[in-house]
Amino acid sequence: MSYYFTILSPTDVPLFNIAFGTSKSGGDGIARFRFPDTAQYMNQFIIHSSLDVVEEAQWMNGNMYLKHIDTYPPASAYISAFLTPSGARFLLLHQPPQLPSNSAGAGGSMSGSLLLGSGGSSSRASASSVAANPTSPQTEEAVRQFMTEVYENYVKTVMSPFYRQGMEIKSSVFRGRVTAAGRKWL
Amino acid sequence: MTQPARHAAMLSISNSGPNTMAGEKQQSTQHMHTQSQPSQGLRVPSNRKTIYDRHLNRSRSAELSRASFAFLFAEMVTYAQRRVTGIQDLERRLNEQGYPLGLRLLDLLYYRTMSSSTSSSLSSSSTSASPPNRPLRILPLLHLIHGPLWRLLFNRPADALEHSVSPETPNEYMITDNDPLVNTYISVPKEMSMLNCAAFVAGIIEGVCDGCGFEAKVTAHNQPTEMWPGRTIFLLRFGESVMEREKVLERAGVK
Amino acid sequence: MAVFSLIIINKAGGLVYQREFQPGLRKLSTNDYLVLAGTFHGVHAITRSITPKLPLAAIPNPPITPTTATTPSPNIASPSSTSTPTPSSSSASAGGYTYPNPGVPATGLESLETDKFRLTCFQTLTGTKFLLFTEPTMANIDVVMKKIYELYADFVMKNPFYQLEMPVRCEAFDRNLQGWLRGRA
Repeated sequence: MSYYFTILSPTDVPLFNIAFGTSKSGGDGIARFRFPDTAQYMNQFIIHSSLDVVEEAQWMNGNMYLKHIDTYPPASAYISAFLTPSGARFLLLHQPPQLPSNSAGAGGSMSGSLLLGSGGSSSRASASSVAANPTSPQTEEAVRQFMTEVYENYVKTVMSPFYRQGMEIKSSVFRGRVTAAGRKWL
Repeated sequence: MTQPARHAAMLSISNSGPNTMAGEKQQSTQHMHTQSQPSQGLRVPSNRKTIYDRHLNRSRSAELSRASFAFLFAEMVTYAQRRVTGIQDLERRLNEQGYPLGLRLLDLLYYRTMSSSTSSSLSSSSTSASPPNRPLRILPLLHLIHGPLWRLLFNRPADALEHSVSPETPNEYMITDNDPLVNTYISVPKEMSMLNCAAFVAGIIEGVCDGCGFEAKVTAHNQPTEMWPGRTIFLLRFGESVMEREKVLERAGVK
Repeated sequence: MAVFSLIIINKAGGLVYQREFQPGLRKLSTNDYLVLAGTFHGVHAITRSITPKLPLAAIPNPPITPTTATTPSPNIASPSSTSTPTPSSSSASAGGYTYPNPGVPATGLESLETDKFRLTCFQTLTGTKFLLFTEPTMANIDVVMKKIYELYADFVMKNPFYQLEMPVRCEAFDRNLQGWLRGRA
């Protein structure tokens, strides 16, 4: 599983982003997106296009963790969202690894059709590991734990007297903490 | 690799340490060159303890000296008074000093409620049980301010919460504090009798409302009684967009 | 047990506060209160300066050298003797004397009494003077004085609208002072 995590201010200004891969079931923590050439901007594009869904869901559901809210089938990208009470959005894009049967150059339409139905997950290696199934309760729970841990560090950032709302988070310590949370839960 | 450096970094991000991480901002004008971060001169204290190493609940039950707060607040009022054009201007400045505090307190408040609620939340995969909900309607928001926020700030709930009785102003709500802590030692001169330094607290409330997505203007007004000479009413005026959303959510049955 | 009135004099001798709590004294005109404040300030300064100092030799157990801090002699506490690095010659002229109560500077006039009232003076470290007019028989004036000082520190000094050395116009100070004295009576 490869991940792209971003924090957006209430006015949609990107405050922080990071790409990383799973560290579970032997993963090395390195992001391997399906379409490496375009991943850099496609990930951002996909994540930002899910903002409309977030804004709709945020007034229907008072939870901070909104769970999996959006899917972009062509890239088999799943978006999970977490809202802080002060309106910052934590968005996590997760992309399951390509099936072993798929060759490296598989077309987008093919992988998309595979994943459109949720039954597609059964064909994948056992859904027990967090990394394998992006919509399983285990994954939801792992993402929740990850989000909660990032939230704690985000609150610490916000409480800094040198931080104002809407400022980019540049702290390398914060980045390290997010990486560690990713390694721990995802 | 023949690819540009930042692409390479994007593709193979090692998690060995924060230095090797790279990220890109969406807006091309604002690139985040995180790889150059160590050279940005972020200084870490010699004992390696950053704000991220401190627990947020550490000072939770700590008490603050009332006198030092009083002196600090007196200096804040004096600072705000420099080159003001009038009482309204002074109140606006106090309000602006409180506003960022409200935004921060909101996150801290939720973090603390989250971590204090029993940590058995691990078992429940449905998150509805454990963490507190964000307020979606005006009433839960007002209860949040009246209760938890006031307790966080002043160690007691506010004294009253009312809705405007006038049909013309359904967007007005009032929170009463009989003896605001910030005004304990303050005597406003007669020529400024309209001034209420609790405008600072009004700013905090405004920050909380705005943070939650409820655009509002909050002002502090003197309403002395025989028993409570310092009684202050915080008047919350919610914006039209909030009132419209309130109607939609009411129809949708959102609580 | 009546507290008649309170006067506060700033460190320059100006009247910054005058208030009557119970009738019993004849009222003065505002101008006379100002004169009273200034006069008292002057008399107080004179009483301070005529307070005699005692030569160091008069104190039993004089230290061998004034700089040795090992001997727990009371005059070590007086700043003049500890701060002089050269022991013998200069301490005889500058630090060779001390106040009757070593370590405590001369306070000057502390009370005046007639058969109708007693005036008690308390001076803060910053030179502000509180004059309290009470019945001559009243006991525990220091308790009242301490509370007045506390209320002053709270409701005057913590008030952002109070300018130092200027007349005290703090409604909360008046209210709390009145309330506390009434509660006592």
